[in-house]
Amino acid sequence: MPLVSIKNLTKQYHKGGETITPLDSVSLNIEQGEFLSLMGSSGTGKSTLLNLIASIDHPDSGSIVVDGVEITTLSRSQQARWRASHLGYIFQTHNLVPVLTAYENVELPLLLLPMSRSERKKRVEVAMQAVDLLDRANHYPRQMSGGQEQRVGIARAIVKHPEIVVADEPTGDLDAETSEQILDLLKRLNRELDITMLMVTHDSAAAQIADRQFTLDHGKLIQTHNVTTAAFATSGDQT
Amino acid sequence: MKLIAYILKSLWGHRARTMLTVAGSAVALFVFCFIQSIQEGMNDLKQRQEARGSLIVFQANKFCPATSHLPQDYDQQISKFAGVKDVMPIQVFTNNCRASLDVVVFYGVPPQKLRTARDFEFLSGNWSDFETHQDAAIIGRAVAARRGIKAGDKFSIGDLSVNVAGIYQSDNPAEENYIYSHLDFLQRRQGINLVGTVTQLEVILKPGTDPLITSTAIDERFRGGPVETNTRAKGVFQANSLGDLSQLIEMSYYLGLACVGLVLSLVATTTLMSVEDRIQEHAVLRTLGFSGVKVFGLVLAESTLLSIAGGFLGVGAALITLKISSLSVGAEAVTVAFIPSLHLAWVGMLLAMVTGICAGIIPACYASRTEIVPALRHV
Repeated sequence: MPLVSIKNLTKQYHKGGETITPLDSVSLNIEQGEFLSLMGSSGTGKSTLLNLIASIDHPDSGSIVVDGVEITTLSRSQQARWRASHLGYIFQTHNLVPVLTAYENVELPLLLLPMSRSERKKRVEVAMQAVDLLDRANHYPRQMSGGQEQRVGIARAIVKHPEIVVADEPTGDLDAETSEQILDLLKRLNRELDITMLMVTHDSAAAQIADRQFTLDHGKLIQTHNVTTAAFATSGDQT
Repeated sequence: MKLIAYILKSLWGHRARTMLTVAGSAVALFVFCFIQSIQEGMNDLKQRQEARGSLIVFQANKFCPATSHLPQDYDQQISKFAGVKDVMPIQVFTNNCRASLDVVVFYGVPPQKLRTARDFEFLSGNWSDFETHQDAAIIGRAVAARRGIKAGDKFSIGDLSVNVAGIYQSDNPAEENYIYSHLDFLQRRQGINLVGTVTQLEVILKPGTDPLITSTAIDERFRGGPVETNTRAKGVFQANSLGDLSQLIEMSYYLGLACVGLVLSLVATTTLMSVEDRIQEHAVLRTLGFSGVKVFGLVLAESTLLSIAGGFLGVGAALITLKISSLSVGAEAVTVAFIPSLHLAWVGMLLAMVTGICAGIIPACYASRTEIVPALRHV
């Protein structure tokens, strides 16, 4: 049974008198521990798909089942609780809370979970160690480079041991060298911690680190590369 | 409670805005407490006199103490009325009949009557020094603090000089704004001979006596006599004496409410600005798993903390200032003390808290109901 099962997902926007369909009956299965990348031109709906899986946006039709939970039918507060315990989100612009230190930023999602202070401390230290930033724990975002900020963002996404991590252009704001380091880090975390990852990117080189690569074109999901032999489906056609 | 560090850091992270809001809130609460303290003083004055059951007999159709001249022997006649426990003749001298923040009021009374009628506690000096020296006076703590007077000093105002025999405190704050001297001394002060007349008579009633019946009986007794009287309960007399000032004090209640409104609009504006500046941050929190209710609570906590911090500073500063300055306002030789009471402190802090909560509701709704995806794109 796949960790994530997306069936016939459709999302439409109305802009002026025009109807835009970034996702047109998209279906996709993601297995536990897989690393998927999603490419496409601007406005093709990559981030929309990511946001729907993250349950911060609502589809017009279709379903998303994550680890047996149909997340599209949950109430807002249930979705918030689900995100708090099951989802990690890596933003393009890092989006760290500027008034909190790196340690506090990573600790933030754990404050929502029933967890002792010592357990939180242990988890934050492990996550910061994983991104090799334990020595920057007391630094504020303004005192760190873009790459370091993104690594804190990654630590924040993995600290709660989520079922799935979604990354929205995680290297979009970084130079080539730092991008490479971040991609290596994501791949390492995927392998070592068996974290399921879905990454949206513009960069075809970045997309290549994924086990499976997809492109969104006119609302349809097209697989462009498959490193593994895992099952997948496009546009409702299970393959 | 786990998020208190985040809330405090968010406030401290925008410290200029936070401090300006806290300062504005503090100033408004300071003014509120100052205004309400005089209201407290007025209420205290009325309640005390109602509870104590005493009447003031004044010359009919006279309003300023300088123009009221009652025959002193009225006290003998009034003391025979049923229900009257004692009558204390009082000669009043004041440096200012009009409304003033530093009015000095002398009450000339027979010392032995004063001792039984008032429950003073001496901070320095004693009764016997006062009773045995004709030119001695005892001075209320508030006047002494305002004017820097100590026991043993000579205190002069205009052509009147007294030797300070003691400084007293009273459980009635208004009493601490008076100076008590000998009746004879005040009747014979330089250049004036008022022996045989007094400004007013204070009639102390026995418990259970109806003040209205007694005051009517007194005025009836002297109707058509050499000097007609106007007798009222002491609280009513004082409220009437304060006249326009009394109405101004009552009006000040609305000024107090305006201060609360000021805090409300100030904190609400600041919180809304803060929320608009942090639309993206709140969207990130919600992406991390914070529910709308949680974000609502965070914003509400911020506005409440701002208001409470301002309230704490404003109320604290007002109470300390009032305590140190011993302010009172007086007119027609009646004074009302600014009372920095614990009740006022509680009301001030409660108002600050409620105002903070009310001010945060709209910004908190805005923060918690904004759609996440557009908010994440907000720059």
